[in-house]
Amino acid sequence: MKIYKENIEKFKSIYISYNFTVDVKDTKVYSYYAVLASLMAKSSQKYKTQKEIEKYLNFLYGSNFDVNIEKFGDLYNIEFRMEFINKEFIPSNEDLLDKVLNFLEEMIYHPATWSEDNIEREKQFIIERINQRKDEKLKYGIQRAEELLCKGEPFGTYLYGETDTVESIDYDILKNQYNELINNSCVTVILSGNLKGYEDIDEKISDIFSKYMKNETTLEELSYNKKTDKEFVYEEVKEYQDTTQSVLSLGLRIKNCTLKDFYILNVYNAILGTTPTSKLFQNVREKESLAYTVRSRYYRFKDIIVIFAGINKQNYEKALDVINQQLDDIKNGNILEIEFKSAKDSLLADLLEWEDSKIAMAKMKIANLLTLKSADISIEDMRNGISAVTLDDVINVANRIEVEKVFLLGGNDNA
Amino acid sequence: MHKITVEHSKKLGENTFSTTLDNGLKVYICKKDGYKKKIGLFGTKYGSVINDFVNITNGKRTKVPDGIAHFLEHKLFEKEGANALDLFSKMGVSSNAYTSFDQTVYFFETSEKFEESIEMLVKLIKEPYFTDENVAKEQGIIGQEISMYDDDPTFMVYFNALRAMYHKNPVRIDIAGTIESISHITKELLYTCYNTFYSPQNMFFIVVGDVDVDSTIELIENNIKKYESKNIPNTEVVTYSEDEPKDIVQKEIVQNMDIYLPQLCVGYKLDVVKGKDIVKNECIIDIISDMYFSKQSDFFEKEYNEGKVNESIDIQYEGSNTFSHVIISTTSTKIDEVGNDIVEYIEKIKNEPIDEELFETIKRKKIGELILLSDNLTVSYRRIIDSILNNTDVYSDIELIENISVKDIKDFLNLLSEDKRVTSKIISK
Repeated sequence: MKIYKENIEKFKSIYISYNFTVDVKDTKVYSYYAVLASLMAKSSQKYKTQKEIEKYLNFLYGSNFDVNIEKFGDLYNIEFRMEFINKEFIPSNEDLLDKVLNFLEEMIYHPATWSEDNIEREKQFIIERINQRKDEKLKYGIQRAEELLCKGEPFGTYLYGETDTVESIDYDILKNQYNELINNSCVTVILSGNLKGYEDIDEKISDIFSKYMKNETTLEELSYNKKTDKEFVYEEVKEYQDTTQSVLSLGLRIKNCTLKDFYILNVYNAILGTTPTSKLFQNVREKESLAYTVRSRYYRFKDIIVIFAGINKQNYEKALDVINQQLDDIKNGNILEIEFKSAKDSLLADLLEWEDSKIAMAKMKIANLLTLKSADISIEDMRNGISAVTLDDVINVANRIEVEKVFLLGGNDNA
Repeated sequence: MHKITVEHSKKLGENTFSTTLDNGLKVYICKKDGYKKKIGLFGTKYGSVINDFVNITNGKRTKVPDGIAHFLEHKLFEKEGANALDLFSKMGVSSNAYTSFDQTVYFFETSEKFEESIEMLVKLIKEPYFTDENVAKEQGIIGQEISMYDDDPTFMVYFNALRAMYHKNPVRIDIAGTIESISHITKELLYTCYNTFYSPQNMFFIVVGDVDVDSTIELIENNIKKYESKNIPNTEVVTYSEDEPKDIVQKEIVQNMDIYLPQLCVGYKLDVVKGKDIVKNECIIDIISDMYFSKQSDFFEKEYNEGKVNESIDIQYEGSNTFSHVIISTTSTKIDEVGNDIVEYIEKIKNEPIDEELFETIKRKKIGELILLSDNLTVSYRRIIDSILNNTDVYSDIELIENISVKDIKDFLNLLSEDKRVTSKIISK
């Protein structure tokens, strides 16, 4: 178990992120973990129902508790999160830390004996989640581009897995999966927020939780991107949906990507489509009026980029042309000084503002541990990394980026 | 030097300073020590529900197309062909704007370019630039925005509930208008709305962050002064709203969409209240939400155990000078059953004694929640905007929530009347 601290005393509270990171061999476990995480968030031996949990949290001055599942590239992560107020800011200066840690221990290490009813209900809810994917069109369009790019890889599987797998879940499967999680995953605890008066918080955590540790793997040892030498297969996929607007998404592959491309790719992506000065916003939206939403997203764990836009179906070809033109312009170095500078400035400002969010700081730490293999990289280091990127760096990286998948979630024709 | 008023919240350890400039503009500064980010907001008390008013430049009553406040927001955030988002972005600053029923707000967030951002924000709002061409272009972009909302079940189920409740009040119309209504917008109409509602005494400027109060006020004032000659006379805004009947339009609206998970809103139309009572109603509903609908409520537990509701059942109060209602919303594959359960439940809890012990622990939670939320700068400016629109003290919500009684809860529940209830559903095709 590794514990990392970020002390930022302007906050009034402390955020605890207790992570189990799993190296996935068979993506069936996505469904197992999804059901398991739901059950663990809602009951323990002592707190039998959500109601009892919530009532206890009232008593802890509205401390927040939840369980979050996400993919870090090809790894699966289950995060138990708590947020509680530093004693300095509580009426009567009551110290909540011991109660918060005992509660967290209870929720993680003393799970309820789930009844068949409980299991069936959570399974149904997870099945609903899977079935309702298409209800959020843009999100769905983005996910389909990710899946097309990463077919056959853990990352290419939906976070909740597949309905058939969920159907097959029973108590024994969950119990096994729970033991697997506790005994064979990598545990990382991140504390961020106002740690004043809690100088020994890491020792306290260690005292309570180290007895449960059976596996000493660290995040730095885990591989989040398993398959890097893939065959390039261009594909256009269309799916019909009875909607007014259509969603266009493009999956871009970054070839021969290495660790030193990280900062450059951030700048590339900002020039392409994350700010209002970006090429996509300026051309697809402002110049051609083809979309209200148009953006690009860089996936540091998977060496891919996804572009997405909400468009009129009849503008499909045109939107595709305009987007491709932007990609070519960057490749050919048609980048204005101001586009380059504002991309960097916006990244630099974002980094600085992460310090205003406990959650952002915790997320940065865990992502840096995985990809840059270090927890000691500061915001300043990252800012320096961005500042050092040159225009030539961006052009070079752009020439290793190709559109590989095009996905259209098609709506009605004349909207 | 202007007289500066300080409002202080002991619970949050937070101060908000305010003053009124010579031209009538109210300036608020909420000081948040240690934060990198500084947020500046320039807003007007003008939103989508105002479409009938006296044109300040000629004194004539004018009706304007639905969606024009939102259209104006888009157009004002543009400068001679350049989008404001882009102008800020070129400085490495993020910015945005939004229009709601009763306000339009333009804001930036910056860590290092505070002075330049204030200058840019004032310039944008004070120098409108509308042409026939840029109006036409915006009709395309906003058309896409409207289409996006049309496909959003959460948005549709909510607006359908409002349409079932209100006969005349423009709250029943989408904030962005319709593709048809915005086609009638011209640059002349935009100038009329701008001149009428963007005068200093109808606007406010808010800064949240680790800034010096005096020099920030001076900075804002110096920038505003550059445009003084262009100021419109300081006449009070006169708006008209048609009399809204107390009854509802229809009991139920059901719409089909290509979705999997159905959505539900149950709405109760209420009598309009003003000022502090709006804030009080919000606080009461906040407590009702925790006591009767949250995951610690018997009702949620029952619905969950029966496999009807998974995520949450949300309840919110919305009120202004012209509308007042409660909306309960959720998603479920068994939407009809959940709808009936909610209605029966409301009738049941009206007649039940209140669990006072639960009430007290929830108040403890609420105090904690306010402290936890104060780690987020957004909460600070939202509170200031609410206080401006409701004409209350900045931290009145904190004082109100501490003083809510069991009787307040009971009285409020009894306002939820069966004959003013509407149901809105989005179901799968």
